[in-house]
Amino acid sequence: MTATLVAQFLDAETLQAALRRVKSTGHAALDAFTPYPIEGLAEQLGLDRSRIRVAMLIGGLATAAFAFGLQWYSAVIDYPIDSGGRPLNSWQVFLLVPFEVGIFAAALAGVIAFLRSCRLPRLHDALFEIPGFERATQDRYILIAASEADPSDLRTVLTEAGAVVVTELRAP
Amino acid sequence: MSQVLVPQQPPAHRWISAERADDVAITQAIADPLFTGFGKRWWLALLATAPFVLWLLVAIVWLFYRGIGIWGVNSTIVWGVAIANYVWWIGIGNAGTLISAMLLLTRQRWRASINRFAEAMTLFAVAIAGLMPIIHLGRPIYAYWLAPYPNTMALWPQWRSALVWDFWAIVSYLLFSILFWYVSLIPDLATLRDRAPRRGAQIVYGAFALGWRGSAREWSRLQTLHSTMAALGVPLVCSVHSIVGLDFAASLMPGWQESIFPPYFVVGAMYSGFAMVVVLAAGIRWGLGLQAIITPRHFDAMARILLMASIVMFYSYATEWFMGWYGGEHADRAVVRFEFTGTYAPLYWALLTCNCLVPQLLWWPFARRSLPVLILVAIAINIGMWLERILIVWNTLSHDYMPSLWRSFHFTFWDWSFLIAPLGFFAFLFLLFMRLIPSVSMFDMRELAHEEAAA
Amino acid sequence: MPPLTELPTRPEPARRSKLNRRQALSLLATGMASSLAACSKPDQQILPYVRMPERIVPGEPLKFATTLGLAGLGRGVIVTAIDGRPIKVEGNPRHPGSLGATDVFAEAAVLSLYDPDRSRTILHDGAIASREALQGALASQLADARNRQGDGLRLLTGRTTSPTALRQIDALLQAFPAAAWHAYDPTDDDNARQGSQLAHGRPLRGVADLAKARVIVALDADPIGHGPDQIRHGRGFAEGRSDANSFSRLYCLESGFTLTGAKADQRLALRPEAIERFAMSLAGELGEARGATELPERERALLRKMSTDLSAHKGAALVMAGPTLSKEIHALVHWINAQIDAPVRLIEPIDRTPSGQQAATLEQLAGDLAAGRVRQLVIVGANPVYDAPADLQFGARLQQAPFRLHMGEYVDETAALATWHVPQHHALEAWSDLRASDGTASIVQPLIRPLYGSHGVHELLAWLAGEQDASAYDLVRQTWQSAATGDFEAWWKQALHDGVIAGPGAAAVSAAPQLLPMPGGDAQDTHAGGMTLVLRSDPCLWDGSFANNAWLQECPKPLTKQVWGNALALHPDDAARLGIASGDIVTIGAGDRTLDVPVLTEPGAAAGVGTLTLGGGRHSAGAIGNGVGANAYALRNADNRWRIAGVSVTRTGRREPILTTQNVVRTPDDVRELYPLYELGHTPAAAASDDTPSLMPRTIQSSDGHAWAMVIDTSVCIGCNACVVSCQAENNVPVVGPEQIAMGRDMHWMRVDVYDHGAANGRPLGFQPVPCMHCEHAPCEPVCPVAASVHDHEGLNGQVYNRCIGTRFCEANCPYKVRRFNFFGYADGEEYANLGADSYRGQKNPEVTVRARGVMEKCTYCVQRISGARRSAERDNRTLGPDEVRTACQNACPTRAISFGDLNHTDAEINRDKADPRHYALLGHLGTRPRTTYLADLRNPAEE
Repeated sequence: MTATLVAQFLDAETLQAALRRVKSTGHAALDAFTPYPIEGLAEQLGLDRSRIRVAMLIGGLATAAFAFGLQWYSAVIDYPIDSGGRPLNSWQVFLLVPFEVGIFAAALAGVIAFLRSCRLPRLHDALFEIPGFERATQDRYILIAASEADPSDLRTVLTEAGAVVVTELRAP
Repeated sequence: MSQVLVPQQPPAHRWISAERADDVAITQAIADPLFTGFGKRWWLALLATAPFVLWLLVAIVWLFYRGIGIWGVNSTIVWGVAIANYVWWIGIGNAGTLISAMLLLTRQRWRASINRFAEAMTLFAVAIAGLMPIIHLGRPIYAYWLAPYPNTMALWPQWRSALVWDFWAIVSYLLFSILFWYVSLIPDLATLRDRAPRRGAQIVYGAFALGWRGSAREWSRLQTLHSTMAALGVPLVCSVHSIVGLDFAASLMPGWQESIFPPYFVVGAMYSGFAMVVVLAAGIRWGLGLQAIITPRHFDAMARILLMASIVMFYSYATEWFMGWYGGEHADRAVVRFEFTGTYAPLYWALLTCNCLVPQLLWWPFARRSLPVLILVAIAINIGMWLERILIVWNTLSHDYMPSLWRSFHFTFWDWSFLIAPLGFFAFLFLLFMRLIPSVSMFDMRELAHEEAAA
Repeated sequence: MPPLTELPTRPEPARRSKLNRRQALSLLATGMASSLAACSKPDQQILPYVRMPERIVPGEPLKFATTLGLAGLGRGVIVTAIDGRPIKVEGNPRHPGSLGATDVFAEAAVLSLYDPDRSRTILHDGAIASREALQGALASQLADARNRQGDGLRLLTGRTTSPTALRQIDALLQAFPAAAWHAYDPTDDDNARQGSQLAHGRPLRGVADLAKARVIVALDADPIGHGPDQIRHGRGFAEGRSDANSFSRLYCLESGFTLTGAKADQRLALRPEAIERFAMSLAGELGEARGATELPERERALLRKMSTDLSAHKGAALVMAGPTLSKEIHALVHWINAQIDAPVRLIEPIDRTPSGQQAATLEQLAGDLAAGRVRQLVIVGANPVYDAPADLQFGARLQQAPFRLHMGEYVDETAALATWHVPQHHALEAWSDLRASDGTASIVQPLIRPLYGSHGVHELLAWLAGEQDASAYDLVRQTWQSAATGDFEAWWKQALHDGVIAGPGAAAVSAAPQLLPMPGGDAQDTHAGGMTLVLRSDPCLWDGSFANNAWLQECPKPLTKQVWGNALALHPDDAARLGIASGDIVTIGAGDRTLDVPVLTEPGAAAGVGTLTLGGGRHSAGAIGNGVGANAYALRNADNRWRIAGVSVTRTGRREPILTTQNVVRTPDDVRELYPLYELGHTPAAAASDDTPSLMPRTIQSSDGHAWAMVIDTSVCIGCNACVVSCQAENNVPVVGPEQIAMGRDMHWMRVDVYDHGAANGRPLGFQPVPCMHCEHAPCEPVCPVAASVHDHEGLNGQVYNRCIGTRFCEANCPYKVRRFNFFGYADGEEYANLGADSYRGQKNPEVTVRARGVMEKCTYCVQRISGARRSAERDNRTLGPDEVRTACQNACPTRAISFGDLNHTDAEINRDKADPRHYALLGHLGTRPRTTYLADLRNPAEE
């Protein structure tokens, strides 16, 4: 039988140390929750790299291309007028608008990708039920670890690593 | 105000003056006032700014009812205060994102204490700036004709016009800034959600927090996104004000048609923006009692930037004069001469004093460290930058190619209204912001505190 | 349509329709019934528009020839009417007083026609009265007069050249032997008449021909200035300068700056006394040494050149004297002209009755009034209470006459003091006839039925003769019955059609002027007793009778660009001596009379001379003209009307900014760059090319279509403003009013820039009319975000009003500043004063949009005329002729300085002009490639 333990620590360093211990003792570190971003934590947990930037690049370029295309079509094909003797396809100045909207579109694409990759937004999460979990956004550093074998061993590992509170997470 | 963080003199750490600033202390110091309220001072401030909001509304209604003839614009000087205001506010609006993005990219950790309200400043400033070009129109109801949409007239915008570039630049920049600001706000909203004593607050903050848990994955994704947006933000900001510069540079008029305009507008924007940040930082620091996390060092750093910018500005002016003379064009030389000796010469000298002379004070450390001096310098800079914008419009239009139509501008009450009222409106919005949203980024501060080993 | 309650308010979806066949049928029936009801004819009888009234096609403009008077002298015009509304006045090429061109007063006549302030009804002591009441009163008064052979009956008119009126007056004077007829025109030149009386023994009129003169000497005379002769003289001046080989030279000595002085080749500003002295010395050079005196160096040098020039060009030399000079000098000038065999045609006076009756003067009338010898005074078309010389105290004396009848277009100052007032037809409402200044007669025919209950002059005169129901139409026809050769109806139709009565005007009479005793003394007393005040008729308001015409009030005075008021022009040195700056209000003291007026410093003014124009300070002019400017008549004397010696000028300390629409350019660099001026024989070799290198491809030129362009010859532009007002009338250009002018706003599509070359003593001014340049690379177009400013395939720079959102970037980026913005609804609900009145709508040109608030507007090259010409060409399928399209400004120009046409048409006039070495593009180096270009000014000063 497996058990999932939630350990709360007082600072990031202890959390990271505990994380190392958990891994070295052959347990599985599932996830960590911290009040501020901690360098390298994701790598330690072995999370996959995000593809947010790719999404941004694609979104940005696509929108920019569309914007340029719209200008070109409207100025050359659909509504060609002599404006101060300028060439119909004044591509030099047509580059400005695509740049602006392209960057915004990239940002928007990024935000959407971010929300998707984190499965946000969500109104509720089982973890919120854990007593004291709300302090994960304030001053507590929470590690969720699971053990295939004896949960008590993992519990000792965590407490020795300096967890102030260790609670077991039971699937409802 | 909560004094959980006790500032020390001299500061205990480089960017945090409190001896101890653990997560709890920082969170309390920043978040609690939002629940306990700011008391009388805040209400008085809000009351003081409310009349300006009303004034602005009245002015706009009257403008729409009577037409823009109520301004001092005339057949020769067809542009006036609205345009100057537009450029000025956009300039203010540039600093927030610049500070946040550029300092983030350059790993300036001290940005943590100021980026949040600096970005808020950006939002409000850009919103007000966006208002100006619309109300400056002769027929504001048709402002939407700048947007491309299938219409019965079978017409499109005229893409070669700098005003169309403007339109897209402002819209993109405003929306981008909102995203940029909101993204970095999510974790703090979660904190508020989890600290909120009342159900209502929990629900509202909770909804905006989007269910943030602070998991390692969320943090790493957020940082990826935020840093990438920052990388995009810097060129965006620069392009936005370059395009504002093109409004003038892409013309035929003496004193406008200058290739230096775009870069020099960007620097000018950063200049006035930082000056505004200094003023606001001082205000928030005093208002929220954040002496511990907005330290003299912060002001010192910003002062150095101001000093640098003032030198670049002076260089830009000098370049203008030189090119005016060196180009040999009769009209260009005439405009430069007019700047120094013409109708608006006193204003021009005032502008040079405010933008180039006064900031030289900041060479002296005592000036950089003394808030009063710094604030006065910052205000002087903001005045100087507004003068610069209005004079760019006035000098050229009052003294261009056709001497037979040289005229000067008559300031009317409504010009003053559109100059002053928006300032009050801005303050009003900013007060609301302070009351509802943590003015300093809590998670950034926690990080900073740990790096400063103050936790 | 009757309401149908049984119809469902909201249509139900078809499938669930509860409508069965029966209901459907009933509904169908109701529907048919109701539709029938809707289509039924009204109860009253109506007539279908089957047979159109002759020549009336709705919306199609009709043109009629008629005649407009100025100071009683006729200028033939052709008036365009649409649906019976006269909307535009143009010149009549057949008429010697018009030659196809107009002046500001003729152009503005259509606005006065619709003036809501015009008098609308007969008044008795200020109260509305019926015509019967008037007839009754007249009958008794005339009976009384008849018993006394007309003793005490006086008729006062303006200067009258109308043959019909003169004929009626003759008849009247025969019916009332003891009655008297007086005529007064405030702009009349008494000295000239008396001068020719002295010289010839009778008051002959001199009709000068500037075209024939190689040398013209204007002694304080302003032949090409505003007035009934402006067009004729202006054209003559231009013709005299059309050929480089016979290029005329214009000398001008004058006391106040005039258009003639501005265009002179050699100008000297002197006090009138000094000019008289100079005239006598000139006579001395030509063999009449009695009056010659020793002159200052500068004058002597000029005198030498002048006299050699004059004697070298006998037969083609001409000397003209102005109203400020004494009658002796006028006589002397007659003698001089005789010596040099000047091209001056002497004719009998044209304002005499057929029996040779000459009108008595206003002075005599004033005397009789004071002596109580006047019982019935009838004033027709004159306003002496306002414009009589102040020393006659006419207003006060007028009331001595118990019966005072006034006929005028307005309830003016005189009407206010009259016992009876009769509204007078506007010239475009009346039948009459007039003579041009050279004696040519022409018919005045109405374009529109009288708008108000007004009457014609001839009818009133008929009433005086006891004919109650004579119609002006018949009276005029009677006058010309005799003149008609052959079939009268045919002759009459021809006369109406041509707008001029065939045959020469007055025949020339030959008369040798005798020499006469030289005027002694008074020429010496220069600078005696302070300054000399010179009065002039106003270039916009004339004698004040146009004061209620908003176009003219807002028409910039040619030399100062002042609008909405007049000012005392002083030489800067005098101003400095008196401690006065432009805009200071001073008190002018002449004898016991004073007048407060703002000062305007004028570098071209003569030292010691102040110049003030008539026509200001009206208080019963109407909503537009009341209280604008200062009333110069208050200082005027009857004996020497145009010149008041020994006036005092003292500052009041008050200020009143002079309202101007633009500046006179005096900075040498700018003048040199923007207004090139060559001396005869020093013109550049070839036409300057306006082709500047550009990365841009050449403009999209339509191969098939037209390429419209305009060339303006600044050498013959006399700055008369006819083009400005013509443009205003043609294009529905609104008036903005003094407050807006003070804010620096104006709406004129065409402006005339003035450049001051500040030549040592001469200060010749150059005039440069500036419409839109219609640049091929127009800076205004790429900056417009909504494509409201676009180029069409014929090279017009179009402004799409309903697309404009009012960013004003186009005007900001226009180097020529020719665009005008509707900051308020100047023509759209926020008009100045009463210009929003319904009656004014009648004048609006239906072919041109009335612009709304918040949009930009500008010169369109009269695009409506271009398309009009194109349509007519297409109707009778032919191609447009080279110079077929004529813009409003071009048509108005007295000197034909403006040419317009199609560049793709090789034999178009503009292509010849563009080849002229004087051709240049304004600010051409900016690479805007303007379609409107200029010919540089050309002067012909005498060799040093």
